[in-house]
Amino acid sequence: MKPSLWQAVKLVFVKEFTVGMRFKAAWAAMFMFALTTLACVSLALQGGVLEPRLAAALLWIIIFFASMAGADRVFADEDTAGTLLALRLYGGAQPVLWGKMLYTFFLLLVLTIFITPLFLLLIGAEMAAAGAFVLALLLGVAGLAAAGTLLAALVTGAQVKSGLFSVLMLPIILPVFLPAIFLTAASLGAGEVPVGFLGGMALYDGILAVGASVLFDYLWYED
Amino acid sequence: MGMILGGLTLVIAGLVFFVVPPAEGLGYYVRIAFFHIPVAWVAVIAFCVSAFQGARYLRAHDLSADVKSAAAAQLGFIFVILATVSGAIFSKLTWGAYWNWDPRQTTIFVLLLIYGAYLTLRGAMPAGHKRARAAAVYSLFSFLTVPFLVFIIPRLYFSLHPSPVLNGTGLAMDSLMLAVLLAALLDVTGIFYWLHKKQTEKLLQEERL
Repeated sequence: MKPSLWQAVKLVFVKEFTVGMRFKAAWAAMFMFALTTLACVSLALQGGVLEPRLAAALLWIIIFFASMAGADRVFADEDTAGTLLALRLYGGAQPVLWGKMLYTFFLLLVLTIFITPLFLLLIGAEMAAAGAFVLALLLGVAGLAAAGTLLAALVTGAQVKSGLFSVLMLPIILPVFLPAIFLTAASLGAGEVPVGFLGGMALYDGILAVGASVLFDYLWYED
Repeated sequence: MGMILGGLTLVIAGLVFFVVPPAEGLGYYVRIAFFHIPVAWVAVIAFCVSAFQGARYLRAHDLSADVKSAAAAQLGFIFVILATVSGAIFSKLTWGAYWNWDPRQTTIFVLLLIYGAYLTLRGAMPAGHKRARAAAVYSLFSFLTVPFLVFIIPRLYFSLHPSPVLNGTGLAMDSLMLAVLLAALLDVTGIFYWLHKKQTEKLLQEERL
């Protein structure tokens, strides 16, 4: 019996999670990268107070580059291990994309949950609007996962991978990145929270996910 | 065609330097606008051409569409650099700073990043259908940022740029200025079309070798 799309997505997610737990290198690299960057920022500040806008920008820079250290592995590891062909044979494009996107979202969400409280603690930030802050983080991470999954598939055939993922990612993620910084800054006390940006981010996340879904077929089914 | 475009360019340059009067508030600095606006326009047109040809490749698997997409991106990259540099000079002369992340500066910078990323991706992959597919997908995926660049960015930042000059509400332009600007737009678009044809031929020749 052919499984439904949701069941197939779930299977891909479980496979990704199991492999991720077995080979923890991607997780470790991402978390250690985030921690190292955070430590650098905190050490450089030496207890100095950060303006909310600067704090928001730093937080998102840490999240962005830390996610680049892990999210780009989602297809590359399978390519290196030689399992991508098997997945191509047995998995349809859409279950693979959505399963991997869901896993990337989960991965980045855990990273964000790990890094954000530490960041707030170390810089001594005061929260003015926690709800908007959490929503901005969720929507920002969703955008990173949606764009990151397609771009990770895109770079599997590249001969030079180092840095390429970030180069491709930044212009596409800016529509999520910039409002997220504005919202985070406002949540940390830099003026009124521009609630409309949340709708804009959600809309753009949706566009990215649908765009990735449409375009992934062309990458998955080769001639 | 090259001769006609060269002649037209000389005529427009003559008009800009010897006939067009100084603009209110900008003086003779307005001359930069006759270069800056057309190259910025073509930078955006090239982006659309690249995405369109990318979509054509994905539909038909025709490598010549991929070559046209690449040629448009290569030229677009040059035009976007010209637009960025001329805009920065204009900004320094009129507003006192080379760069202040004005919405249109942000838009053109994002475009510069997209072109750079697209060309880096192409450079990192061996020629063939796999590269063509990846480049086309990236070109179309990055095209999703257009609504954001046009509608959202202007709401995020304060702008020093005048409103669009062609609807009569922005720069105080008399009819002569507007006519010269339209001619410059036409001329630079023609130059892009001509260069695109030449570059496509060159790239196709390289692909055959």
